[in-house]
Amino acid sequence: MENYDVIVVGAGPGGSIAARESAKKGLKTIFFERGRKPGEKNSSGCGLGPRMWRDFDFMTELTPEDCPSLRPGAAARNYLVNNDGEVSGYLMTKPTDSVTYEPARSWITMNCYRSEFDPWLAKYATDAGAVLKTSTLVTGLLKENGKVSGVIDEKGNKYSGLVIGADGAISMVARESGLRQRWEQEQVTIVPQYDFECPPSKIDDVMGDEALAVWWSATFPAAYQVFFNDGFHIGLGNWMTWWEKNPMHYLNQVVALKYFQRQIRILEAKPREFQVHLLPWQGQPHDTHADNVILIGDAGGFPCPLEAEGIYPAMVTARAAIETAVEAISAADVSKEFLNLYDAKWRATSVGEEFKTGPELASIWKALPFSPLKTMSWFVPMLMEIIGGIFDWSEPHAVRVRQIARRVKQYLPNAIPFIMREVIPLLTAILGEENMNLLTDPEKLIAAMPELEEAIARSFVENDMEEK
Amino acid sequence: MSLKIDHKKLIMRIPGTGNFITLDNEKCTLCGRCLIICVMNLWKKSDDRVHLVDDYASHCLECGACYQVCESGAIDFRYPAGGTGIVYAKG
Ligand SMILES: Cc1cc2nc3c(=O)[nH]c(=O)nc-3n(C[C@H](O)[C@H](O)[C@H](O)COP(=O)(O)OP(=O)(O)OC[C@H]3O[C@@H](n4cnc5c(N)ncnc54)[C@H](O)[C@@H]3O)c2cc1C
Ligand code: SF4
Ligand code: SF4
Repeated sequence: MENYDVIVVGAGPGGSIAARESAKKGLKTIFFERGRKPGEKNSSGCGLGPRMWRDFDFMTELTPEDCPSLRPGAAARNYLVNNDGEVSGYLMTKPTDSVTYEPARSWITMNCYRSEFDPWLAKYATDAGAVLKTSTLVTGLLKENGKVSGVIDEKGNKYSGLVIGADGAISMVARESGLRQRWEQEQVTIVPQYDFECPPSKIDDVMGDEALAVWWSATFPAAYQVFFNDGFHIGLGNWMTWWEKNPMHYLNQVVALKYFQRQIRILEAKPREFQVHLLPWQGQPHDTHADNVILIGDAGGFPCPLEAEGIYPAMVTARAAIETAVEAISAADVSKEFLNLYDAKWRATSVGEEFKTGPELASIWKALPFSPLKTMSWFVPMLMEIIGGIFDWSEPHAVRVRQIARRVKQYLPNAIPFIMREVIPLLTAILGEENMNLLTDPEKLIAAMPELEEAIARSFVENDMEEK
Repeated sequence: MSLKIDHKKLIMRIPGTGNFITLDNEKCTLCGRCLIICVMNLWKKSDDRVHLVDDYASHCLECGACYQVCESGAIDFRYPAGGTGIVYAKG
């Protein structure tokens, strides 16, 4: 038996930060990775969020020498794919004037491969004094009188200490500690992705600083595209039981888009690797700890409820877990009750703030990009009608406006319930009920809706001739 | 000409995993979820019996999706031995 204060299972972003913070606090720390090195089992989009730079000072030390794949995602394209599987428009966005700090004003994400990033991060932990064991699978939890006391690895070596489960979406620690056998089917997604290689100069010329893209679609769940120095990822995800056909059917639909095919031709891009990974995606983390056990990052279900950014939340929950561990160890009390402190601590962070509106955010994502047939099939044409319809020379502009309004009216029976069920509850959660009532009372709105619809209908009736 | 990708050729693995997925046909309800979800198509159904292909260990990407969707508990999944199995160089 080897004795440690803290044992971390997994050397992803969560595990490495936990190991680093723990060692820095003077705790005797070991962390395990089943891969030959950190990062070789992981797949991500992979865009790093700017909050990592704001909240972890060493992030400014990340350079292209450490991670040759680095490329800032300074701007994002939003493609809108219609019911016929064609790109019917796109919108480019950049960080806006309301963004308050650097580097968030300069880029949306910093992109790099996990095979480079994870080992770089793990070095901060080993430099701080934590012991890293690679090529080592942790197979079980040690128990004394029914309570977890440490871990056991595949060779039968035993280690005692407080256990941090940083072992990702399919977490042995969650399973063996009795916290969770598996996720509910709508708490976790499967995300297959292709990596393409292409010459850096092509990406510079063709994409410029638009190194991110989302393909919003009426025919497949929203796909993301992330550009690195010499390649890009294209992938998509959805909840486990929301796939009518094999996930590859939908990913290959993206690849088969004429627009996408043209893009890979001009980028001279070639498929290089295929990856698939599960990604927890839920409105509210729960069952985050047990006696002598704390789950962080994906193991605890912490990716952002709207867009599933998960690397920053893994790092933040790692820090909260170690702050908790320090107090627990000095109080000589690692009971579940004492470790409730962990929930209080992560809830006080930026991640906790996100989950205050977690259920509403998860619900709107579920209703929009994860529901291509049900929602995107009217949302995409409606949006494109509004954006694309005005700048059109087919009729005098006043006639065009009436034509567009009549067309949009057809989408209202879908759009209004959507606004009521998804947008209003989200706004209420964000603004608070009192402020929301000032803005508008949902009940009043619902009552007024039929009249409004009628008014819109009537005002365009006399112009119906224009349609013919 | 449109590019079609054979994703099964785009993977790199280190052999020596041993067995790490098991199926208990007694518990299987034939719900078919594992067949839909596995991106490597390693689950098959014949004569009203589900099975995992013989050489699954040389194709499996260790995603755990089959384990996650099987609510009857027929599928057990553990990661393969440390230092073996799938390697993502560009993950
Ligand atoms: C396709 C995809 C795209 C994504 N895109 C983004 C993105 O662009 N930006 C973003 O912020 N997030 C993204 N995410 C989410 C992000 O990848 C995760 O939230 C993040 O990796 C979680 O970090 P973690 O440390 O908790 O777990 P992981 O990164 O999963 O690390 C767990 C580690 O533990 C090891 N391990 C597991 N079990 C054992 C064991 N028993 N013994 C030893 N070692 C073990 C694993 O090998 C792994 O290295 C994406 C996820 C996916 C799947
Ligand atoms: S998911 Fe489980 S129960 Fe359903 S068919 Fe597969 S093995 Fe059988
Ligand atoms: S772990 Fe993933 S790739 Fe392997 S058999 Fe299960 S679903 Fe298929």
